[in-house]
Amino acid sequence: MKKIFYLLIFLTITVSDVVAEESDLPNGPLGKPDLNGVWQVLNSANFNLEAHAASASLAMVEGPVVPVPHPSTVLFGAVGSVPAGLGVVEGGTIPYKKRALKQRDENKKNWLDRDPEIKCYLPGVPRATYMHLPFQIFHSEKAIFFAYEYAGAVRNIYLDDPGPAPVDSWMGQSWGYWEGNTLVVEVSGFNDQTWFDRSGNFHSDQLKVTERYTLINQHIMNYEATIEDEKIFTRPWKINMNLYKRVGKDAQLQQFKCVEFVEELIYGKWRGD
Amino acid sequence: MESGVVINKINFQKVLKYIFSMLLLCSNLLFTETSNPNKTWYGDPDLQGIWTNATLTTLERPKHFKALEVNEEEARSAANKASADSFAYDNQYLEGESPKAGKDVGGYNTAWMEPGAELFQLFGKYRTSIIAYPKNGKVPWDREKANKFFQQRRKDRSKRRDHPELRGVGERCVVGFGSSGGPPMMNVLYNNHYQIVQSPGYVMIMAEMVHDARVIRLDGKHPPENITPWLGDSIGHWEGNTLVVETTNFNPQHTFRGGLRHFFAITSGAIVTERFTRISKDQILYRFYVDDPDIYSQVWAGEMPLRSVEDKIYEYACHEGNYSMANILAGAREEEKRR
Repeated sequence: MKKIFYLLIFLTITVSDVVAEESDLPNGPLGKPDLNGVWQVLNSANFNLEAHAASASLAMVEGPVVPVPHPSTVLFGAVGSVPAGLGVVEGGTIPYKKRALKQRDENKKNWLDRDPEIKCYLPGVPRATYMHLPFQIFHSEKAIFFAYEYAGAVRNIYLDDPGPAPVDSWMGQSWGYWEGNTLVVEVSGFNDQTWFDRSGNFHSDQLKVTERYTLINQHIMNYEATIEDEKIFTRPWKINMNLYKRVGKDAQLQQFKCVEFVEELIYGKWRGD
Repeated sequence: MESGVVINKINFQKVLKYIFSMLLLCSNLLFTETSNPNKTWYGDPDLQGIWTNATLTTLERPKHFKALEVNEEEARSAANKASADSFAYDNQYLEGESPKAGKDVGGYNTAWMEPGAELFQLFGKYRTSIIAYPKNGKVPWDREKANKFFQQRRKDRSKRRDHPELRGVGERCVVGFGSSGGPPMMNVLYNNHYQIVQSPGYVMIMAEMVHDARVIRLDGKHPPENITPWLGDSIGHWEGNTLVVETTNFNPQHTFRGGLRHFFAITSGAIVTERFTRISKDQILYRFYVDDPDIYSQVWAGEMPLRSVEDKIYEYACHEGNYSMANILAGAREEEKRR
């Protein structure tokens, strides 16, 4: 009898624990976790997806003793430097094909001329997720829509299979569905113009990204993206990181329409008197 | 103390004037806002979907129309004329023929345009202007203030081959042409689609042109004056089934709102109020009120339907392929060199 009593207590605690864990996730539309909110990473993935030490600049050139910042970035001083990161690539290294790796290294060397972020171009996926600016998810019973602060980029996640993308685009075509409590988004139809980070990591127009958004609790969401591109990589690879939900006054998306910020950079050389 | 009293007096007068003009507008607009019980998962009225405001009806009433409403025959004749004009535009040259030197080479074939082929109907009646108040269907410019603004604009435009900032915001790919993203949201030559998605505390309206997502904060507060986002700062609340959106803090570089078929301005001190009411499964009644004493002699108002469409909205990447801006500026410098 005593044993049964203890067993009952044990079961009650266990069951209530499980229930409590499940109910920790805020309820969204159609019985799914509520993904609404302003989300942001707290990492340095946009500087480099792979592990990297802190450094003086993204553009380094050979110096008399050790490498020094490129003359175009030197005036930024500490503001232009790169924070360290342990990397977000599962297994540590992006599995480039030999020629593609060479291309990546060349991209990195020519970062100032080549990174589409410098020209305020649309960031593509997955890069939009881990920029230094937040994004807002609008999650309803009819639609899931992402609005990114950077460049005012947007994504509408189709909830019915849209078929192959009719044209290539910067942000790709997104098709989302639920696997249990995880929102899975298959993104395809990309052009080859976007990068993955500020370190020259890139892809071709054969890119396919499969994202998995899993709410851990009301403040944290896990983000995993599987990246496939047979032209560039030897096998599919994954990145994984956490997204943090902004609360209170911080939870208001601001505007970062950087198009006007780069007019001088892009068009300044053609100004009239 | 004394100056405080004066300020209070001015505010009081302004408030009275505002209330009066709003009452006047409400009595002047033709129909009352009806309701539709559709609700979102958390109980707000549901405005979600893909919508279009493409229409042949223009902001101001063209001279040949005498009233706000016309019958079906007149509406059909307007649509036929528009279709004939469009055909004539596309066929102004014979095959193999080209424009003579110095003549306008044109922009797009009409296949690329989608401005709307018919006058819109509201509650079963065809409309000849979006402006419902004043009753003459005209933008009520304050002549003196408007002249001053347009003089400055002409001066700026004379330098528009010299500086990117002096070209239109649409050409700069900063926001869409002609107030497409609003507010007020206006129909333009093409890409007249909008997507509305709602979440607790927010209504997001994405204008197709330049993928502008306007995030309307329900029961929010406007930011300090020095924060002037493109498309202004929008806060909203529900009045029954109507979403009421107030926008202030307009960007001073986005004052001119000219399109192919309309011509108006929203100065940085304007207050634009929009009212969105779902009047049927397929229609939102979109009303707006422009209170901008820095350029108009009175408050003015317009209304039009947003029609539901099954279409998908594709990406409107603009800046990424803006070769025209580079070509215009570089072309002007090249021309100077050859002089």
